[in-house]
Amino acid sequence: MGLVRKQAPQQPEEALPDRPPVETLLAQLDDPDPDCRREAALGLADITTAVPDLLARVGTEDDPRVLESMLTTLAAHDTEDVAGGLAVHLTSDEAGLRTAVAAALATMPRSVPALLPNLLAAPDHDVRVMTAMILADLQHPEAHDWLVRMICQDPHPNVVTGAIDALLPSATEDDADLLRDAMARFPDDPFLRFTVNSALPRLTGTA
Amino acid sequence: MASTTPVALSDADFTRFCEYFYKRTGIHFTAGKRYFVDKRIDTCIRNSGYDTFASWFAALRMSDSGGMLQDLINQLTVNETYFLREDYQFDAMLSTVLPNVLAARGGVNRIVGPVKILSLPCSTGEEPYSIALRLLEEWDQIDHVDVEIHGADIDSDVLAKAAHASYGERSVQRVPKAWMNKYFVAVGAGRYQVDEGIRSAVTLHKVNICDTPSMRSFRDFDVIFCRNVLIYFDELSSRRAAENLYAALRPGGYLFLGHSESMSRISPIFTPSRLPEGLVYQRPTGAK
Amino acid sequence: MTSDTATRARVLVVDDAATVRLYHNSLLSEAGFEVSEAANGLEAVEASLSAEFDLYVVDVNMPKMNGYTCVETLRSETVGTAAPVVMISTEDRPGDADRAYQAGANLYLVKPVAGDRLVRVATMLTAGREEAA
Repeated sequence: MGLVRKQAPQQPEEALPDRPPVETLLAQLDDPDPDCRREAALGLADITTAVPDLLARVGTEDDPRVLESMLTTLAAHDTEDVAGGLAVHLTSDEAGLRTAVAAALATMPRSVPALLPNLLAAPDHDVRVMTAMILADLQHPEAHDWLVRMICQDPHPNVVTGAIDALLPSATEDDADLLRDAMARFPDDPFLRFTVNSALPRLTGTA
Repeated sequence: MASTTPVALSDADFTRFCEYFYKRTGIHFTAGKRYFVDKRIDTCIRNSGYDTFASWFAALRMSDSGGMLQDLINQLTVNETYFLREDYQFDAMLSTVLPNVLAARGGVNRIVGPVKILSLPCSTGEEPYSIALRLLEEWDQIDHVDVEIHGADIDSDVLAKAAHASYGERSVQRVPKAWMNKYFVAVGAGRYQVDEGIRSAVTLHKVNICDTPSMRSFRDFDVIFCRNVLIYFDELSSRRAAENLYAALRPGGYLFLGHSESMSRISPIFTPSRLPEGLVYQRPTGAK
Repeated sequence: MTSDTATRARVLVVDDAATVRLYHNSLLSEAGFEVSEAANGLEAVEASLSAEFDLYVVDVNMPKMNGYTCVETLRSETVGTAAPVVMISTEDRPGDADRAYQAGANLYLVKPVAGDRLVRVATMLTAGREEAA
C-alpha cells in the first residue's frame, strides 16, 4: 500500500503499443460502443485511405464525442476532398453537426479557399452566415478580402453582420467606408447600425 | 565565435519559422510572442554554432543533426515551475476527487488495481513530487490503497532533471520545514534532492501530448494534471491533445487544467464539474 | 424578499459573435439588467457552475457547443437551472422552434430582434423572479 511504482520495468524510451491494423480500426467505426468508435476515429489520424470511410460517417454519427474525434482526424488532412465532403453538412438541420463542421473547416486554410466561391454564392443564407464564421478563424492571408466581399455584396443583413463580426478583429481605418456603406444598405437594421457605430471610433488611427 | 549581437529575424523569417514549428510540434506562436520567440531562437542558433538565421534554419529543416529540433523545443516550451504550485488543486484532489474515485471504483476495500495519477507535462518534476508529498502527508487512505504517480514531458532535458530531482531554494520555498527534513537531502550549494523512496515511486515518460500513437500507452488514469500547456497549442493541436487526455482517463476520471485555462475554447468532450476549490473536468461515465 | 426587488436581474448573453454580445449587453444593461457574457455553449455551462443567472439569452449556431446542447446541459443535472431561456437564431427553418422548446427554452426568436422587443421579453421573463423569491 502507499506509493507504488508502475509494475513494468521502466525504459527511457518506452516501446509503443502497436497501432491496431487499419482494417480493424475501420471496422470499429461501426462498433455499437461509442468509445470504441471514438478511439478508432482518433487512431485513424494520418491514414489517407481512411478518409472516405470517415467522411461517409460524418452525417450519420449520432454521438457528439465520436463526431468530434472524426472531425479532428479529418481536419488534419486539409485536402479539398475532405473540405468538400465536410462542407455539404453546413446545410444540415442538426445544429451540432453544422457548427462542428464549420469549426473543423476553420482549421483548414489550405483547402477551404477553393470552396469559397460556392459557399459565398450558396442560396441558403444560413450557409453564408456559417461561411463568415469559418472565415473569422481561418488562418489565411485572403480571409480579410473575402469578408470584405461578403460585406459589400451579400443581400442578406444577417450575412453582412456576421461578416462584419468576423472582420472587426483585423479591421483598420481603411475598412471604415466599407462599414458605413453596409449601414447605408440596411438602414432599418438596428443591430447593424449599432455595430458599425460602436466600431467606427475604435478604427480611427489603426490604418 | 559568433558575434554577440542578437540574430535578427525579419517578419517573413518569423512567419516561416512559426509555420515550420507548428508543423513539427503543433505549437503555434502568435505575433504577441515575437520577442520571446526571437530571443529563444537566438539562443538556439548560438548553441548550434551558426551565425545567421538562414543557415541555422536551413540546417534544421534539412538534417536536424545534433538534436537541433529537440533544443529548439526545449527552449520554446515553458518549464518554470516550483513545488506545491497552484496548490488549491491538490486540495481538491485530496478532499473531493480521490474520495470520489475510490467510491466509483468500489471503495477502499474492493478497489482493483492502483489509483493512477498523471502529471503531463511534468517539467522538471516539481508537480509529480508535490503530488507524492501531499498524498503521503495528508491523504488518510494512503496506507490502504496503492497509488501510481506518473510524470511525462516532451522535453528530454527536463525529464533528466526530474529523474535527478535536485532543486534550489526558490523551488522548494513553499515546502513545510518538517517535510523538507523528512523527504529531502541537502546535496550542497543550496540544493536539495528528493529522497530515493519518492523518486523511485514516480515513473517518468517522454511523450508528445499531441501524438496519438505514443499517447496510446497512457490508459486508465484516475486523475490527470495538465496545467498551462494547452494554451500554447493552436486549435487543431489542442483538440487532439484533449482527445488524447480523454483516452488516457478512466471513465469518470478527473482532469485539472491550469488556473487560467478552460476547456470551453478547446473541446466539448469533457463534462465540467464544480468543486469547492474550483472547476475540474471529467470524462463522462457510461456509453454516451 | 422585498429587499431583493432592488437587486438587478442577472442575464447571461451567450453568442460567439462579439458584436452580438456587445449589442445585447448594451440593450439589457441600459434597461437595468446585470449582464455577463459567454462566447459559446460550453463557456455558458462553465459560467453557470460558478454563478447563478436569472435569464439566459442564447444563440443557436456556436462552435464547441451549440445553443440546443447548451440549453439541454443547463437543464440537465450538470447545471440544473430552471431560469428562463430565450434562444435567438439566424435560422428560420421549420422545426427549429420545436427543437428549442424540446431542449428547454422558454422562447425562440429569429434575428434580427428589435432592441425594445428583447428588453420587453427579458423584463417579462424575469418578472416572476421577485414573486418566487
